[in-house]
Amino acid sequence: MKIITLRSLIGLVLVVISAGAAQGQFPTEPPAPMPLTKLGFPPFREARLRNGLDVILVENRRLPVVSIQFSIPTGSVHDPAGKRGVAEMVSDLLTKGTATRTAEQIAAAIEGVGGSLNASAGTDFFTISATVLADGADLAFALIGDVLRNATMPDEEIELTRRRILSALDVERSDPAAIADRYFSRTLYGDHPYGTRETPTSVRAITADDVRSYAATFLRPEGSLLVVAGDLGLNDVRRLADRYLGEWRGRVPARTYGEPPLPRPTEIVLVHRPGSEQSNIVVGNLGLRPGAADYYAATVANRVLGAGTDARLFLILREQKSWTYGAYSSLSRRYDIGPFQATAEVRTTVTDSALAEMLHQLRRIGTELVPDSELGAAKGYLTGVFPLTIETAQQVAGQVAVQKRLGLGDDYLEKYRDRIAGITAAQALAAARTLIRPDSAVIVVVGDGGKVHEGLAAIAPVRIIDVEGNTLTVDDLAPPAGVLALDPAQLTPRRDSLRVMIQGNPMGAQILEYTVEEDAIVAVERTMIPLMGMNQETRVVMDGATLALRALDQTGQVGPQSAETHLAVADGRITGRAQTPQPGGQPKVAEIDTILPEGAIESSQLTSIIPALALADGATFTVSVFNSSEGTFKPYAIRVDGTESVSVPAGTFDVFKVVVSGGAFPTAMYVTRETPRRIVRIEIVGQPFVLELAR
Amino acid sequence: MRMLVALGLLTVGGGNLVGQAAVQYEHFTLDNGLSVYLVPDRTVPVVTVNVWYNVGSRNERPGRSGFAHLFEHMMFQGSANVGKGEHFQLIERAGGNLNGTTNTDRTNYFEILPSHRLNLGLWLEADRMRSLAITDENFENQRETVKEERRLRVDNQPYAAAFTEGLATGFDSTSCFGYSHTVIGSMDDLSAATSPDVQDFFNLYYAPNNATLTIVGDFAPDEAKRLVRGYFGDIPRGAEPPGITCAARFGAAGEETVWEDQLANLPAVLIAYLVPEHKDADSPALSLLQTILGDGESSRLNLALVRDQQVALQSGAFLDSRRGPGQLIGFAIANQGQTADTLAAALRAAIAEVAANGITPAELTKAKNAFRRNFVFGRQSSMGIAENVQHYVHFHDDVSEINTDLDRYLAVTAADIQRVAQRYLVPANSTTIIVVPKGQGVQP
Repeated sequence: MKIITLRSLIGLVLVVISAGAAQGQFPTEPPAPMPLTKLGFPPFREARLRNGLDVILVENRRLPVVSIQFSIPTGSVHDPAGKRGVAEMVSDLLTKGTATRTAEQIAAAIEGVGGSLNASAGTDFFTISATVLADGADLAFALIGDVLRNATMPDEEIELTRRRILSALDVERSDPAAIADRYFSRTLYGDHPYGTRETPTSVRAITADDVRSYAATFLRPEGSLLVVAGDLGLNDVRRLADRYLGEWRGRVPARTYGEPPLPRPTEIVLVHRPGSEQSNIVVGNLGLRPGAADYYAATVANRVLGAGTDARLFLILREQKSWTYGAYSSLSRRYDIGPFQATAEVRTTVTDSALAEMLHQLRRIGTELVPDSELGAAKGYLTGVFPLTIETAQQVAGQVAVQKRLGLGDDYLEKYRDRIAGITAAQALAAARTLIRPDSAVIVVVGDGGKVHEGLAAIAPVRIIDVEGNTLTVDDLAPPAGVLALDPAQLTPRRDSLRVMIQGNPMGAQILEYTVEEDAIVAVERTMIPLMGMNQETRVVMDGATLALRALDQTGQVGPQSAETHLAVADGRITGRAQTPQPGGQPKVAEIDTILPEGAIESSQLTSIIPALALADGATFTVSVFNSSEGTFKPYAIRVDGTESVSVPAGTFDVFKVVVSGGAFPTAMYVTRETPRRIVRIEIVGQPFVLELAR
Repeated sequence: MRMLVALGLLTVGGGNLVGQAAVQYEHFTLDNGLSVYLVPDRTVPVVTVNVWYNVGSRNERPGRSGFAHLFEHMMFQGSANVGKGEHFQLIERAGGNLNGTTNTDRTNYFEILPSHRLNLGLWLEADRMRSLAITDENFENQRETVKEERRLRVDNQPYAAAFTEGLATGFDSTSCFGYSHTVIGSMDDLSAATSPDVQDFFNLYYAPNNATLTIVGDFAPDEAKRLVRGYFGDIPRGAEPPGITCAARFGAAGEETVWEDQLANLPAVLIAYLVPEHKDADSPALSLLQTILGDGESSRLNLALVRDQQVALQSGAFLDSRRGPGQLIGFAIANQGQTADTLAAALRAAIAEVAANGITPAELTKAKNAFRRNFVFGRQSSMGIAENVQHYVHFHDDVSEINTDLDRYLAVTAADIQRVAQRYLVPANSTTIIVVPKGQGVQP
């Protein structure tokens, strides 16, 4: 027998290893794809319970996890007229207490088994989902069965939810992307359910009765779908569904959608947002219904056009031209006809160029065949990413639910990759030509109308509105010519004390004192907020007849920083020095020496000017405002947004709601209708900061 | 039945859990020291290629903080056969996902791909391991990007500085430089770094003998071995990197620092308790303790500080269990009008309560179920399994613990949890960081 020495053994091993390496040089090009593995989508089992609930099980015993997804064919499509938001509130409230379990008990129960439980409402579908370990399946079904049938929706929880939604809407008002989406949907869909959004009015109108009767009417088994994926057998699922959902009866009332408006020749809706540094552009049209035969070809075309950072819109508008941080297109699939849209957020100065380029690309994709390289990259991505979307039980449940809910056919998931892989350039072209219609598109641009209107008007007819949806004319976009009509008699001698509220808690005070001298009105404002270390006094001297600025002095502290501003106006010029504390840590210093045009005011004068305006419901004003800490002029838009009654510590008052925009944050000032006018409440939109008249 | 559920009469499953969630792996090492783990699973046509380099910010030396993280950026700037940004583009075109992350203990890079592109993922990782393009231009660009990232993430987010730099103050820079500085590093060190420094770092730490490659998902083992040997086999072995010493400073005797935060609106408190390395026998009990103290709506801190006393807007706990000494951190963000001192006192009291009176059976059950859930859910995806394997390779004495570790956690008793609370969660073992909004000054 030959003795194998250590030396020869090492030699053998070295030969084996170097044989592997010596297969070739290291490749200098990325390797070509290996053969595609067949995508074996797990089969599903179906059942229908006696109460009409459809059940689908995708059994997977690999890990002891279970994902449960309940889909009810209802949502905001069933919100009562004028009360958009009911379905969303119900989805919040469902898990906040039942007849036998408090909200805390529900949370403790599901957390106790290491699971999660959520409910959400879209336009077309209301979803309740839970993920648990297999031994938590019983509890998950028990909880879902309980919340679906016995949710109590207590009044306090209703108010909490309402407040949350209203806060979110408030923040949305200063988000240009949300504004663009709102007006795009409204214009494209009109009164169709996809065209409506929640508003503060609709949410405030919702009653306890609305939410409770929505749950009772629309959360029903017949017509609904239950998808379970994971470590359960069909018998278990039937048993659990029968036990916890079996007594549940009734049919979900049908959804009706109506027809969206007919397409019209391309028009631009310009939403004027003064001072915007960027424009938000949305271009689109009605897209596809689920099950459309050319869905796959359209998906490939959309991928080439704009569905990622490797697509035309991104590469051209961002990489080539540096006009934007991102430009994309999307094809949304919904229960009824979904939208196609292309979006971009661009620098104000290039708004018209960017829109023109977007329209050019939208035309191009429907008229020129896509070259092989782009077609290959698009199909490579779409087929490649698909298996990544079905790795976990939750993902599988989600995909199966979509397949069923939208009626896409039982082999949709299994055949998806092959269908995409088979799309030709000709098919992509035909689909793009049908799907993408830049000549009858809805275009929405949210931006500074004064700066972008002219360029846009050269591309398509423009209709101008403000952020609230009110119609504007071109003249409304221009900076103010001339002086505001002011009534100084409104500023009577007085000493108003306001309290400063931050997040609903009193945090400080502001004293506003007016004195009338021979030919001047002096306003002194003292603000004290101890928690912010703020103690500041601003003294404004104004002409007694015109309220034109004569002098401005500000002294004080904000934390360790001092405020020190001294400005004087003479011969139409404003001069002096402004030192203003900044969030950045160092106060900003500006040396001022500039013309102060007639009619322009300094920002500290706003609280004096507004009560002196000719206020009336619906009145609008513009004023040029000089911000001495920046040394810049900006046009501010002032609008009287109706009348209401407000209660503050000093009493209850009938007021005008005056909204001022153009500054850092839009501000709402509530001014008494009764003269002499005084401001009783100031709110900063999107910030938890309120001043209220105390005395 | 409903009463039993309400009282939390729950059980903890065990049974054949580990069998179902067991990870079957194969291991081999190349001549040049590259350690390779293969976990085939042909269920879904997805594969993850995952590389851990045995270098984190704890390996950095004084004056050169931020290198490990800077490297994470450099690794995407191109190599001999891959252009700048091309790595990202190639993976996206294949329909894959990718990323890289750095922490104190290691740096990881991964690609999640449809399984027929396994070779692409391996080729890209091999190309940058063997020939990363370290040029002055790339270095300069990424240095600026990292500084910008620091501005955006740390300097521009409320509380971020406290949660990174603040927590690092629990360690002494002479006895444990590794953990006494932040992953992103200091602006000064980043500015002072030179291109040769970067090349040296690469040569030392980005070598096959300092790396572990894990492949999980739909692949044939023989094919994977052939590709790995072909692409990585002839990369030369590097020198053995130096070791790390970290004598964690115990007995901090309730040290307290105050951080002024210009972006925060409300005061916050963090109390960091020093805990032993992840391998330590007390780690499972500490992990369950953290869940009970600070995870979810029914956690001790949420119930005590947010719901009952209403002194905090938000309160919880997290555990940074590391290869060296780590920290268990309790935190709270103040409600309006509450001072940092009230908050700190409430936090300490809630923690002391556990040490004094222990936990309930329902809490123990919940914590074990939460751990089981994370354990199992983390093994649903190929990426989750890959990270799991890497964790056991680097944080444990033996990778085989990947299939026995759950038992340690399920064996923890209420007495264990009380014991570790008494041992570690004491003022003498803590560092307190008080965050005050800028301009408010220190609360009386």
